[in-house]
Amino acid sequence: MARTVRALRDRAVRGGSQLRPRNRATARLAVLLAFLGPGLIAANAGNDAGGIATYSSVGAKYGYDLLWMMVVITVSLVVVQEMAARMGAVTGKGLAELIREQYGPRWSIFSTVSVLFANLGICISEFVGIGAALGLAHVPAQVSVPIAAVVVWLLVVRGSYKVAERVFVAMTIPFFAYPIAAILGHPDWSAVGRSIVTPHIQLNGPYLILFVATAGTTITPFMQLYLQSAVVERGLGPEDIKAERAEVVTGSLFANLVASFIIIATGATLFVHGDHTVNSAADAARALAPFAGRFAEVLFGIGLLGASLLAAAILPVTAAYVIAETFGLEKGISRRPREAPVFVAVITALIAIGAAVAMVPGVPVIKLLVLVQVVNGALLPVTLFFVWRLARNAELMGAYKNGRIFDLLAAATVIATSGLSVVLLVVTLSGNA
Amino acid sequence: MPVAHAAPHVLHLSLVVGGDLRDAAGERLGRVDDLIVRLEGEEYPPVAGAVATVAGRQVFVPSELIAEIEERHVSLRAQRLDLQHFRRRRAEVLLKKDVLDRQLINVDGARLVRANEIEFARLDGWYRVVGVDIGMRGLIRRLVPRRFAHLIATTGFLDWASVEPFTGHVPTVRLRVPHPKLARLHPAQLADLVEAASHREGAEIFAAVAADPELEADVFEELEEGHQREFVEDRSDAEVSELLARMEADDAADLVLQLPEERREHVVALLPPVQGRRVRALLGYDPATAGGLMSPEFICLYADATREEAIERVRHSGVNADGASWVYAMNTHRRLRGGIQLVDLLRAEDAVRVSEIVRPVQTVSPRADIEEVARLMTDFDLTVVPVVGDDDVLLGIVTVDDVLELVLPEGWRRRFSVLGGD
Repeated sequence: MARTVRALRDRAVRGGSQLRPRNRATARLAVLLAFLGPGLIAANAGNDAGGIATYSSVGAKYGYDLLWMMVVITVSLVVVQEMAARMGAVTGKGLAELIREQYGPRWSIFSTVSVLFANLGICISEFVGIGAALGLAHVPAQVSVPIAAVVVWLLVVRGSYKVAERVFVAMTIPFFAYPIAAILGHPDWSAVGRSIVTPHIQLNGPYLILFVATAGTTITPFMQLYLQSAVVERGLGPEDIKAERAEVVTGSLFANLVASFIIIATGATLFVHGDHTVNSAADAARALAPFAGRFAEVLFGIGLLGASLLAAAILPVTAAYVIAETFGLEKGISRRPREAPVFVAVITALIAIGAAVAMVPGVPVIKLLVLVQVVNGALLPVTLFFVWRLARNAELMGAYKNGRIFDLLAAATVIATSGLSVVLLVVTLSGNA
Repeated sequence: MPVAHAAPHVLHLSLVVGGDLRDAAGERLGRVDDLIVRLEGEEYPPVAGAVATVAGRQVFVPSELIAEIEERHVSLRAQRLDLQHFRRRRAEVLLKKDVLDRQLINVDGARLVRANEIEFARLDGWYRVVGVDIGMRGLIRRLVPRRFAHLIATTGFLDWASVEPFTGHVPTVRLRVPHPKLARLHPAQLADLVEAASHREGAEIFAAVAADPELEADVFEELEEGHQREFVEDRSDAEVSELLARMEADDAADLVLQLPEERREHVVALLPPVQGRRVRALLGYDPATAGGLMSPEFICLYADATREEAIERVRHSGVNADGASWVYAMNTHRRLRGGIQLVDLLRAEDAVRVSEIVRPVQTVSPRADIEEVARLMTDFDLTVVPVVGDDDVLLGIVTVDDVLELVLPEGWRRRFSVLGGD
């Protein structure tokens, strides 16, 4: 019954019968493009303002030394995201919903509360990122942040899922600014190549902390929660698993390539010229100008704006999905406030608080992100453990449960990533960060 | 409902599970893990046994051995317990594992709810599930320590008579619990439930209505596109065409468009000839125009037919009530001459010719878009608009329900919320 004129027109083939198949190649391309969605969005929402700051400082401090790690992280990310996407397609339920059904309300409430706080914290940092990015163009945050908040809110609350998804996908386009900025920095490509294939470890505190922080910012709990819920809202089923898997891999590859280019861009400039401290993504952009030119600064600013906008939209949506799933409430980006009041209220609250706090001059963003890191550090092992346990559960997944070799890989990934996350948690709490 | 409230003592599942398993003398034997109920037949499902852990082993406690169920403990009639493993029998589910925290259908409200607590009581001499708690407080009560649980009064009680649980996830070999209560729902409500539920739960609802192919087709007509696609993907071409044959031609054509292009031709070919012709005709048009919206089922006679012949035609045609509310007349070249509403036809004098009583009617071309059709309907107070080709031949009619569905703002479409509370 929920047919729309627009949807009907999308499919309308003018002239000729609609029974005849279209050209094969265009059809295939259309399928591929149509599939760009949850996987790409989830992975790239991880490259947010905080992520860019982390990658920038990795490049500024250690040059290309940590590039090899991006390869390992990409594999881990693919493994984790694939499980979440597969579960969404097979069960038709979000992760929070499955946790509630399989492990009871305590764990699901723990996840819910953690996600709510962590996402609120990150959301603030995204709006700070938006303010800082447009600040590079001398737009005051008091102007840019409210506008951005309203735009994001309208998109998420008033748009249909399809429209919102298209816009989210489009928001990843600014990420192409980073490869260009990297090229402008004239990196020594042979050194880059060597660093990618040679694992390189320094056994000192700051190096290890950055190492762990990079892993933590690339694989964040909200990414699995968002991906699985979005796969469900998109209405994907077991027959779509192959295509969705391809999309998850493409999305993760793209996201981590972008991250690597950020490291290369700052490594080729700031590191080489001895400027080793970067506190935020906007700092990185400003610092880049003297070495790679004003254009590089603009590119970094554009990348930051796109990244922050994308994450500022995804984080509130994720929190709302999780709350609605845990309490069994109506949910969905396509729903109007009247249909899903709590869902919309959570989104609205997160955007409003995030934007309002971000407008206060001198918000201690770094301290806030440290706090977020603590919450996420406690949540990630829990989320990953559940993702793994549920994805290998034959009762739940039937023929689509983890294969034997994949399951070993998944277990290793979950243990390693959770281990790193606990290390980061301990280090952060003991105040060494 | 009266039965549940008259019950002297309502027990909460989450407080029973985790309690002690005691023998007749009150000695602790082990821990109660879950309760088993049989979902078949009776209005309030009786407890058929318990699953408990005794000395590190999971055992099955049949209901014959249970003397009393209390919050915090379950007492046995005997001093000892034969250790037997739990094996699911027909239509049996585990309350905690299979029902608690999961989605249920609230049949009275036609919405999905989540079981935050399961309530049972002693009725007719034995313990039976009397309802579920779907309120937020029921959930909060489970989060606080057991000692304080009684301090939280809950408000979300829903009688089991209004509840139909999903059992598709219960891993028994072909455990098929019938869902008789779903028969109370309107096809549109069933479709809304399918849309709100996960694919598996939706498949369970379809399995429950499959016994009545007409109802199944009605539910399909009401289903939103994405979900139609989801549920035809699992079916063979023959099954899909069987379904299409029972649907209204215009809805069937829309559904054909949901199929992958390589399947369409074959599915349409399998349709009965009449329906196949109608669907093919409709598929030639852009679905957002009058041509795509129109139904080829209408009543049109030659203008020299008599009033009686016209009424006879209405009586014997299979055209639905909306479509038959207008009778059209054409000349010998099949050009549309005019139309008359059924009511006016009935009120007309005997023995007049149709040509004497029909009036000219507003028509649209098959290429007219939906806005144009809607405007025409509004301006001329029409519930049916005839669609004519360039040669004035009547091709089909667009009824107001097809238009309304498309012009209604998206937010107005859901008739009710599937949310837990009101």
